[in-house]
Amino acid sequence: MNKINKFKRILIQSILLLVMVIFWGCERDNFQKLDERNWQLAWSDEFNGTAGQLPDAAKWKFDLGTGQDGWGNSELQSYTNSPANVSLDGDGNLLITAIREGNFTSARIKTQGLFAQKYGRFEARLKTPYGPGLWPAFWMLGENIETTPWPQCGEIDIMELRGQEPHIIHGTLHGPGYSGGNPITKSYALVNDRFDTDFHIYAIEWDKDKIDFFVDDYLYQRIERSDVPGEWVYDQPFFILLNVAVGGNYVGFPTAQTPFPQKMIIDYVRVYQEVK
Amino acid sequence: MKTNILIILMKYIPIGILVLLFMGCERELSDLKPATFPDTPEVFIDGFSAGLNYAAFGGSVPTAFDVDTKETYNNSKASMRIDVPNAGDPRGAYAGGVYFTGVGRDLSGYNVLTFWAKASESAVIDVVGFGNDLGASKYQATISGLQVSTNWKKYYIPLPNSSVLTAERGMFFYSTGPVDGKGYSFWIDEVKFENLGTIAHPQFTIFNGEDKVETTFIGVTQKITGLTAIYNLPEGVNQSVNAASAYFTFTSSNESIATVNEAGEVSVAGGPGSAEITAMVGDAATLGSLTLQSIGNFQQAPLPVHAADDVISIFSNAYTNVPVNYYNGYWAPYQTTLSADFEVNGDQILQYIDFNFVGIEFSSPTVDATAMTHLHLDIYIPNTLAADAQLKIELVNEGAASSATYIVNIPVSESKKWIGLDLPFSEFTGLGSTAKLMQIIFVNENNMISGFYADNIYFYSNGTPPPPGGEPAVAAPTPTHPAANVISVFSDAYTAIPGTDLNPPWGQATVVTTVQIQGNNTLKYAGLNYQGIQLGASQNVSSMVFLHLDFWTANSTVLNIYLISPGPVETPYSLTVPTSGWTSIDIPLSSFAPVSLSDVIQLKFEGNGDIYLDNIYFRKN
Repeated sequence: MNKINKFKRILIQSILLLVMVIFWGCERDNFQKLDERNWQLAWSDEFNGTAGQLPDAAKWKFDLGTGQDGWGNSELQSYTNSPANVSLDGDGNLLITAIREGNFTSARIKTQGLFAQKYGRFEARLKTPYGPGLWPAFWMLGENIETTPWPQCGEIDIMELRGQEPHIIHGTLHGPGYSGGNPITKSYALVNDRFDTDFHIYAIEWDKDKIDFFVDDYLYQRIERSDVPGEWVYDQPFFILLNVAVGGNYVGFPTAQTPFPQKMIIDYVRVYQEVK
Repeated sequence: MKTNILIILMKYIPIGILVLLFMGCERELSDLKPATFPDTPEVFIDGFSAGLNYAAFGGSVPTAFDVDTKETYNNSKASMRIDVPNAGDPRGAYAGGVYFTGVGRDLSGYNVLTFWAKASESAVIDVVGFGNDLGASKYQATISGLQVSTNWKKYYIPLPNSSVLTAERGMFFYSTGPVDGKGYSFWIDEVKFENLGTIAHPQFTIFNGEDKVETTFIGVTQKITGLTAIYNLPEGVNQSVNAASAYFTFTSSNESIATVNEAGEVSVAGGPGSAEITAMVGDAATLGSLTLQSIGNFQQAPLPVHAADDVISIFSNAYTNVPVNYYNGYWAPYQTTLSADFEVNGDQILQYIDFNFVGIEFSSPTVDATAMTHLHLDIYIPNTLAADAQLKIELVNEGAASSATYIVNIPVSESKKWIGLDLPFSEFTGLGSTAKLMQIIFVNENNMISGFYADNIYFYSNGTPPPPGGEPAVAAPTPTHPAANVISVFSDAYTAIPGTDLNPPWGQATVVTTVQIQGNNTLKYAGLNYQGIQLGASQNVSSMVFLHLDFWTANSTVLNIYLISPGPVETPYSLTVPTSGWTSIDIPLSSFAPVSLSDVIQLKFEGNGDIYLDNIYFRKN
């Protein structure tokens, strides 16, 4: 009996320690209570292909040039569809490369007219560029933007980063009454690490009631219908954009010390629908 | 028995879990290393960390460093204050010193040295770094030109490859001088080694990342330069660190052609053939390389043939050289030319690389080459020329308004061989005097020459032309015009305009003397570039018809005389030189139009050589 008791005590100690190990871990607290979802892949691009190829024309279109007033933000780059600025790397990734050659060139691709979806999980696995004045983004716009101008069409920024803060990403909603310098936004920072040294997964999960923002499946922001000071314009399909901007109101100008070229390396973009 | 075993097993499970706990997610391999030296990260937090000492650099102000309790980062107890001296401070010319430990520290678990700094004014600290142990400083790493402001800011000196820093004694050092002659103070606080995940994207370079290709010979040695480690700092900007060669391992692709040692010294051992020198830092390749194309045995420049007595040598092993200030002035900010001089079999060779322009100076003292006739130099262009090249050679005489130039055309076929140049002074455009030569400048006139070797740079006399100091054997002819018809500037025959200055200070190089020729006062211009005469008062010579002049020169090739009225309005008149004996000339004053003849204030001579003048006067018909 004694021996068995002792055995039990040791076992309990061991289990306790094991539990403590799990809880202390080295990661941030991972125990978020989230609803179980049954996600089914609806659309994706894994960016498999030969090095130097442009992204699949059946999935992506290009925004080209300097837009109006630097795409509305006094951005400095001119977008091209040159493989130097946007192409597959042959290792299953898409590279969007910002280049300084006197002026700046870069690329912005979008699924507008090819794919849009209402609700679901939208995610990308990517490694950001870095350096003052670099502004990479993985984001979405309402499909009705042609008929319903921004910000009424709505904008969901799943990941934005200012290159001078390579350890912080931002998730944001722009809509009527809460856009430009006054959006609904939250930041997520890494401790003693940065987003440009490894791949991370950026995602939103979006339904009729709310939009949840994730980094590496950690929920850092939930925006519900009632959190939005203006109209909730997120009950229609949105299309996806990926780009690397240089300069502009959001990020400031690159400096002489900003290293170029700068690459955003995208492993995949996947879109899921919930199956009830 | 089985239960016992079970118990023993169970006893160890918690320990196993504890070990797991400790190993956790930290780095693994380095945890298992035996720590021979302490891995204390702190250098200076609120005072000297354990075992830390300070020593000032020689020539620096010994008291420049002090511990300050008033101005500190984040209201901590103390900071390090450095007082940079004013220029001319008798205690020392700069502030510089080393913080070191007696016993080494194991820094292999860190990747960056960080500190906070501010200054009394915006300033640039010349050098900060670590790895200076007042000895071999094997692993020295520095940042040049650290910009500091009046606000506290955190600074980072990434460790180029910390795995080798297992017993480092050099914790921190600095060295900086006054800004525009004025001293200032700066403060440094919270100096410590850290292991930051926000220091990213390491890159290493040799030759600053350049892939260099050079033609070379057996016996040539050179050192690998441009050793840097570049890291991206937490704010996204790159920081370049100058890293000692010990962080690098160098390799030659062909040891029979070229070898490289641990210190990064490259020696060409064989040829013809080529070898590529590359480097690694730990497991990381570096940017930059040196491809040496050896053409085998060194071709010596031809031995100079001129007798030492006829030579003033600037750079040659065949003669005794005059004192030379430098063979490369590194003239900021536009010069790119670097020197990579080398020695083969006792013969020193100048090598200029990344050539745009470069100057050799010999100004203390200047060189009197008036007895010389030519500039000689041997040059060798080691790389293939893409097109015919133009090398501009400039001679600078002290005080000259501009340098004299000669452009050498070098056909494509002349690369990779010694080219002997013998350039007569008389063909240098704009060369006035050679009495005070002080610089030779090479200019890459059409940008075709990436670099060249130079040897046997000297001035020589080819023996024939000018007995430079040659002097008239007889006096100038005595004038015969009645004094009443004359306004005299310089002559023993007439009374000159009172107060006339024969050597006004106009910045000229000409040496002016009055010499006696057969008892006759004669004006001598030695090493003329230009020379003025300031009349004692403005002269109305409108009633005069000629300017009379006697002149004599054996070596001048250009000589102009000017009349000057206020404005200045000046007009030259060309005199035929050299002369054979005295030339007497009456220049019609109308030749000097539009100079105002009612208000003549000055005369001026321009040209070259040594000139004798007499009987300068205005006269009526």
